[in-house]
Amino acid sequence: MKVRRVTTTEQALEALAEHGSAAQPLAGGTDVMVQLSRNEISPDVLVPINDLAELSTVETNGGVRVGALVTHETLAKGALGSGYRSIAEAAHTVGGWQTQAVGTLGGNICNASPAADTLPPLLVHDAELELRSSGGSRTLGLEEFLVGRRQTRRAPDELLVSVGLTPGAPRSGDVYLKVGRRSAVEVAIVGLAMRLVFDRNEIVSKARIALASVAAVPLRVRAAETLLEGEALDGHLLDEVSAAVLGATSPIDDLRASATYRRLLVPGLVRRAAGVCARRAGVSSPVEEAYQ
Amino acid sequence: MTIVGERFRRTDGEPKARGEAIFGVDYLPQGTIHAVLLRSPVPSGRIVGLDVSAAKAMPGVRAVISAADVPDTRAGWVLREQPLFARDRVRYEGEPVAGIAADTLEQAREARDTIRLEIEETPAVVDLDYALSEDSPVLHPEWESYVPTLGEYPRGRNVAAECISDPEGVEEAFEAAERIIEDEYRVQRQYQAYIEPKGAVAIYQGGRYEVHTAHQFPFNVRDRIAQYLDIRPSQVRVIGHTIGGGFGAKLDASIEPHACALSRAAGGLPVKIVNTRTEDMITCPSREDAITRIRTGLDKDGNMIARELVVIAGNGAYSGEMPWLASIALHCARGVYRAGPTRVKSFLVYTNTAPTGAFRGVNGVYLYHAVERHMDHIASVLGRDRREYRLQHLFEPGEVLLNDQVLDDAGILGEAFDAVEEAAPWEERLAATAGPMKGVAIGAAWWVTNPMPGTATVKLNEDGTIGVITAATDNGSGAVNLGITQIVAEKLGVQPEDVYVTMPDTDAAGFDAGSQGSRTTRIVGKAASIASDEVIGKIKQTASELLEAAPSDIVIADGKVFVAGSPDSGLTLGDVAMAATWSVGPIQGTGSFLTPFPDFNPGCATGLMFPSFPTPTYHVHLAEVEVDPVTGAVKVTRYVVAQEVGKVISPNGVYGQVSGGVTQGIGYALYESLRIGEDGRYQERNLENYRLPLAVDIPRVEFSPLEHPDPDGPFGAKGVGENSVLLGAAVIANAVVDAIGVPIDRLPITPEVVLKAIAAKHSAAVA
Amino acid sequence: MSSGISFAVNGRGVTAQIDGAATLLDVIRNDLGLTGTKEGCTEGECGACTVLIDGKPVHSCIYPAVSVDGHSVVTIEGISDGETGRAVQEAFWDAGGIQCGFCTPGFIVTVAALLENNPAPSEDEVRIALAGNICRCTGYSQILDAVEVVVSGKERA
Repeated sequence: MKVRRVTTTEQALEALAEHGSAAQPLAGGTDVMVQLSRNEISPDVLVPINDLAELSTVETNGGVRVGALVTHETLAKGALGSGYRSIAEAAHTVGGWQTQAVGTLGGNICNASPAADTLPPLLVHDAELELRSSGGSRTLGLEEFLVGRRQTRRAPDELLVSVGLTPGAPRSGDVYLKVGRRSAVEVAIVGLAMRLVFDRNEIVSKARIALASVAAVPLRVRAAETLLEGEALDGHLLDEVSAAVLGATSPIDDLRASATYRRLLVPGLVRRAAGVCARRAGVSSPVEEAYQ
Repeated sequence: MTIVGERFRRTDGEPKARGEAIFGVDYLPQGTIHAVLLRSPVPSGRIVGLDVSAAKAMPGVRAVISAADVPDTRAGWVLREQPLFARDRVRYEGEPVAGIAADTLEQAREARDTIRLEIEETPAVVDLDYALSEDSPVLHPEWESYVPTLGEYPRGRNVAAECISDPEGVEEAFEAAERIIEDEYRVQRQYQAYIEPKGAVAIYQGGRYEVHTAHQFPFNVRDRIAQYLDIRPSQVRVIGHTIGGGFGAKLDASIEPHACALSRAAGGLPVKIVNTRTEDMITCPSREDAITRIRTGLDKDGNMIARELVVIAGNGAYSGEMPWLASIALHCARGVYRAGPTRVKSFLVYTNTAPTGAFRGVNGVYLYHAVERHMDHIASVLGRDRREYRLQHLFEPGEVLLNDQVLDDAGILGEAFDAVEEAAPWEERLAATAGPMKGVAIGAAWWVTNPMPGTATVKLNEDGTIGVITAATDNGSGAVNLGITQIVAEKLGVQPEDVYVTMPDTDAAGFDAGSQGSRTTRIVGKAASIASDEVIGKIKQTASELLEAAPSDIVIADGKVFVAGSPDSGLTLGDVAMAATWSVGPIQGTGSFLTPFPDFNPGCATGLMFPSFPTPTYHVHLAEVEVDPVTGAVKVTRYVVAQEVGKVISPNGVYGQVSGGVTQGIGYALYESLRIGEDGRYQERNLENYRLPLAVDIPRVEFSPLEHPDPDGPFGAKGVGENSVLLGAAVIANAVVDAIGVPIDRLPITPEVVLKAIAAKHSAAVA
Repeated sequence: MSSGISFAVNGRGVTAQIDGAATLLDVIRNDLGLTGTKEGCTEGECGACTVLIDGKPVHSCIYPAVSVDGHSVVTIEGISDGETGRAVQEAFWDAGGIQCGFCTPGFIVTVAALLENNPAPSEDEVRIALAGNICRCTGYSQILDAVEVVVSGKERA
């Protein structure tokens, strides 16, 4: 296996243009190296990009633009600000500190695991991806980018360079909830992100719900979002939201958990997430959790 | 006493903290070549083709061997049933079929990939009840020809061993019962998950094998290699290295005999084998899977008057030491509670899975889980307080057990309940956990200190320091580097840092039965104490001549030797050592020790291979949990232990054992499971799927040591190491059941298990 | 196909020829002979292989060796060069935070990094920082004690 050394983004793009699908960009390596050792991937050329400083910046003016090489550790510390707590929470659960220290947002996106923690919160923040090749660049919504398990619309000569997020809003709250067997270092059994914006009357004006580990790709549930928008939070409504989420997802049995358990989790997570979003948005109405 | 009972730093701590300690997997003598094993990819089948010729021709390859290249013999700790390489049949996934040694590990792996292995698969026997039935294929059709190493015992077909005790009066007692409570519990396998995978280096030289391995029981490795290679044990020298954890899994040989055979085939080059983590997991002698069926008859007042316990445990494809342990069910069938006449049937059954083996608290963890879950069930049916019901039936001093062993000191159990009560008053804790999704539970156990023999030679070095020569191993517990060290230092009046204990070497030291069953501090500590007495006698003799005083007036303290009353005009230990060396010869002494089995009634059961529990200890644990009603996740919020230890030799060491054992118990209760799929393959195959408890998952354990010194133990010490694992599953399961109000009868209690139980209760309530 | 890299290990410059997919752990243990860093799982789960790259803890068993080119690596062997590292080693020994010792280098490296970043972490912060390191022996209590010893010692100073 060859290594193509690059010192600028342009050189990286040239390498990708030259080797195409035989090349594997290498950022923190936390997924790629495991996949290499398990023989799940077999690229001819590795293109380390971990030192490309221009991809490691966070810009916050109006919206937020996050460089693809920003690490989970940086995100977990709240680098994006208080409007993006779900992203910080998700980044904080990606493996242990050693993984967060080198694992990158772009890596998590391009690895496109069905269980990727940062993807649900990125989806609820309407993430737009900037993909660049030596021929130019294009912008693609994250939802559109994700095709299937570990499959994306990244062309072989493209590099994900940054992620744009929708600007924060007043009276909004977001959260990422993750279920695993232990308290940390888990691959999500279910991950659920929610973002709610309320109007002055505590009516939901905008809702986003996205989940990981309930389908081949992390996904937004528009039907559930539509149910929430224009309504005040209450238990009955959240039951309907849960039903919509369950209707739109297709969890499977795997080593970590059964589909049945994943389905059982959804109502409680939806209620808990709505409660946290409301609290973070400064909304007064309490939301009760299931079975309490 | 100034050393025993005081806090000291372990003598091997500095090199471990600095990264200088050479563990087994770090050992790499010059010229070492690397080997891998070709392991069976299927759990059951007939080998119909094996062609290694391509592998032999691969670059760098030094040797390729299989069953055809080694003696046609079988080896085993208790039963000689296991071939070095599968000969005609494979009986579990991961069973070695061939070994490949090459200049580099990559070359060995590439050569392995060229071997053509054809196996005609046969259906794997996986289910324990099925394995026991007449319908099941027999794993070892030739079982009758296998030779037991310690005398014959009841076995046959797929029954690898059984222990049955059916005394008179059991049936009558059940017939007289007002009601009968019955339960069935199922547990998965648990992987020891030491962080250092198994590895070894073997060198064939001068007609002997030198084996370097980080092992809990070097003499057992020696004996197993001798069996496999059909040679005398003295033709094998096993040298121990720093061990990266074992917990029972490194008590029997694993890859060491293969490394030996490969070194010989490679002309004597040092051959190193290290398991990958997946290999290690799928072939590890894990804690056995088991079904326990337990039944109790109650009289009209709710007293327990009859008990039956049936245990079916998974042996895997070969036996290891497991037959020896089947009779532990007899010793734990009632826990520590009187339950009337008791019938016990314990079956160890062959399945097409990796051989199971010892894991800290062998058998006891799931037996106590069953007994204590059953106790809570009975108490709840009767509407009785769970603690009070236990105390009402608690063993009393002089309790006569099912095997007629008498527990004169069973009163310690009551003290242990009192100690836990002081730390966590039951009524207060019941009130504190009365809300939804909070629970508390208490349970008790008794356990054995492994009695098997050990020896130590203590020598006075010419500079006044002390050498201890022993094959005792420190598996990390501190039994050698704190326990034996502090005992010898106390005896000889030196600081622990001036005591040097050898690493095990079967050529250099006498037989030692290994780091198992909490035996090392007590057994080898006692042997070293006896040896120290001999040294003390010689020091006093020499000093009495130098100081012109009677030996009985000589005092040894603080590294000095002086006449009683004149500490300032004495000699150093070094002075005495030099004087003795050049007059009567070097000063050293030797001691050996073992604990006899307490009296028992051999007629009480068939298959009573572990006849009674020497040096018993007593334990009470209390756990509190909180359940997340949304996810089902269980958080252990409090864990209290009262444990009889005899005498605390090393406070740091004792607490470390208690905290570590409890953590493994919590792991077993909540996170860890090595599940066997219907195809006979393990489902969990790496540490991403096998979930070990992390620092975020474990509370600080509250611990009350109870000290009733044993007159036979060194300074009164009893076994400490393994006991703390015994009750974790029991009390956590009961606390979870208390929290959610739904019985859970399997381990581990994952969030999924809990949430499903809550949901079932919820929908039942709605319906 | 090998590739040349140069980087600092414990303050000394080193060069190595590596295969493209080589891990940092391979280079540290096999090429540089620094066996204090341990291999426990090769999947970034157990933390025994933890080293510092530019002060951050990394699972070297899944870190590409090529990516340390031009960077600074500190292993357990170099931890004692720093005051914090030395204090952590001493505290682990003193508090009983070491049993078998195989996980110990990884823990000490992680704790040293934590205390360099945050000299007075709460116990919860310590537990979270250590989630990427598994200890099978101690049950973590005496490891937490060790961290407390260092933290309180610093406060006294």
